Amino acid sequence: MTLLQVRGLTKKHDDVGVLNGVDFSLCKGEIKIVMGPSGCGKTTLLRCLNRLQEPSSGEIIFDGEEITAAAVDIQQVRQRIGFVFQNFALYRHLSALDNVKLGLRKLRGLSDAEATQRAIYELSRVEMQDHQDKYPAHLSGGQQQRVAIARALVMDPAVLFFDEPTSALDPLMAREVANLLNRLHDEKVTILCVTHDVTLAKNLPGDVLFLNHGRVEAEAPISELMKNHANENVRAFFEQKAPSE
Amino acid sequence: MSEAFAFLNDIVDYGPQILSGLINTLILAGTISVTGLLAGILIFRLTLSDNEIIRKSTARYISFFIGTPLIVLLFLMYYGLPQWGINFSPFTIAVIGFTLNIAAYNSRYLSAAYNGIDQHQLMAASAQGFSSRQIFTLIILPQTLRRAIPGLTNQVALNIKDSSIAFLIQYVDFFAQMQEQASLNFQYLKVYAVTGAVYLLLVSLVIFASKRLETRYAIPH
Repeated sequence: MTLLQVRGLTKKHDDVGVLNGVDFSLCKGEIKIVMGPSGCGKTTLLRCLNRLQEPSSGEIIFDGEEITAAAVDIQQVRQRIGFVFQNFALYRHLSALDNVKLGLRKLRGLSDAEATQRAIYELSRVEMQDHQDKYPAHLSGGQQQRVAIARALVMDPAVLFFDEPTSALDPLMAREVANLLNRLHDEKVTILCVTHDVTLAKNLPGDVLFLNHGRVEAEAPISELMKNHANENVRAFFEQKAPSE
Repeated sequence: MSEAFAFLNDIVDYGPQILSGLINTLILAGTISVTGLLAGILIFRLTLSDNEIIRKSTARYISFFIGTPLIVLLFLMYYGLPQWGINFSPFTIAVIGFTLNIAAYNSRYLSAAYNGIDQHQLMAASAQGFSSRQIFTLIILPQTLRRAIPGLTNQVALNIKDSSIAFLIQYVDFFAQMQEQASLNFQYLKVYAVTGAVYLLLVSLVIFASKRLETRYAIPH
């Protein structure tokens, strides 16, 4: 069942097209990876999908609702879309536990006891329960990443967006992120992951959406994209990536 | 020795008035510190408005009150407003004048602290579904207030010292009482030395409290 349907999505900055008509869909429980060269519009696409950046035109149908309409309560929509940022973006003045609790307390109106119980459960799901009282500054990049994931998961989102989840991590941590994403996928969490990390993409089960100049130029499993693909840009991208893999 | 004893005797004789002046100084400094902080938070919030007109108006407010001597503002209200039939007590005028001025400075301290915040947190909060009001009260304000403690408490110290100019609009504070004492016993050097020492003691207490607050509320980094 389709959870997210994107049709003809465009985004212009000062008349320069960053997204030039993106079309794709994401089914419930699916994991999809967005790849492409730097500046191709990957992060802009992710931010347009929950209207952190306003799209210039196009349709985004999320869970049956067209969410680009002015009348849509976008804050309500965002509460159903978990977003894990490249640099984790934890609230620096709050402990790991309070970072995870904040949305439950202030958006869902849960009592402190209920919010604490659920937050601890989500932290244990990402193996961070032993660090719940630490502040972001006292956590490693990988640990911050896990808290950010718990903060997104605790809101019980319909889909999780990841923006370059491994770019700020060392290879060992990056492998752990791949394992974690696979585990979430096994638990039927729907995931849309933007990355330039071919190793991560290879370790995830979903199709890759290849974005170039703000358009989807290919959509296929990464193994197919890496095998002398018909599209010249896809070939150039993966040939350039291959030596480092 | 007898001269020093006479001076102390004068101070003791005049003690109740000095104490009442000191209490007035503390009341005024305490009041304007609170109202100045609250108004400063409001002005700071307006500097973050999405509305360009509000942002520009706020910037002009800040420039105006930082650029205008406080005494001019106090005289304007104390001597100028009665010409329009508007009369306020010296205390009310002092509170209004100081608050308008202090708010401008406090909003600048908060803005400087805000510029040091990792802006990705604000985007993360938007992405989580928080409204701009919630982002301000839950993310921005707790962090800017904590980061701005040195500036804000420095302002409290200035408020204690600057409150002495309220005596120029007939507010009978500690400085006014000490001036009265000096004019009675002609011991200007000693009276003003004691006056300075008392202000120094009050400001030292504020600085001590500021250090404690900074340590207690520091955001780990």
